[in-house]
Amino acid sequence: MRQYETGFVVSPGLSEEETEKFISQMAEVVSLRKGKMIKVDIWGKRKMAYPVKRFTEGIYVFFHYEGEGDIPLELERRFKQTDTVIRFLTVKKDPKDMIRRKRKKPAGEPPAPVESGAEAKPEQQAQASDAVKEEEK
Amino acid sequence: MAREERQEKGSYRKFFPPKKKFCRFCQRNVKNIDYKAVEILKKYIPDRGKISPRRITGTCAFHQRKLSLAVKRARLMAFLPYVED
Repeated sequence: MRQYETGFVVSPGLSEEETEKFISQMAEVVSLRKGKMIKVDIWGKRKMAYPVKRFTEGIYVFFHYEGEGDIPLELERRFKQTDTVIRFLTVKKDPKDMIRRKRKKPAGEPPAPVESGAEAKPEQQAQASDAVKEEEK
Repeated sequence: MAREERQEKGSYRKFFPPKKKFCRFCQRNVKNIDYKAVEILKKYIPDRGKISPRRITGTCAFHQRKLSLAVKRARLMAFLPYVED
């Protein structure tokens, strides 16, 4: 059993009902093959950085699921068959990556990291904290 | 000639030491960089859409590898441009 994340871009030409139907169809593929759907992330319409198949916009959908390797194969086979999917990408997820590395600190000095944080410029710190929030999403 | 130049550069460095760069990802204790976090990746691709090198951003080798992979994935999914002018 492995965790996968499949992201795909649905063409914006479809109506809302059709896209929803398509997404639920794809979700069914996962459940049919004894996969466990963890999360379905629908970002909605978003402008793409460059035109793909003459579309400038796309509906981004992300599936997080757990299962055997035949699920991403089947999904990608279906994506290739239909014209509704413009782009897709499957990423293998390592559950270890979700846990943050623990900073090794010497037992005797707990206040050391606080000092280093205070030295950093406020502007940089603000940026960093923003990014941290995004990472946590 | 070349040697003199180098020495001059060295003395210049002595009077104006360059600002210490550090890896932003190490600072935040991040292990993996997600290709979906476009706002973070955008900071590492200047105008031209290229991935900025380590010597400029100060990112550590470990995170630069993760970062370049994430940027390339993001490009495929049309989050980021391959070329920009």
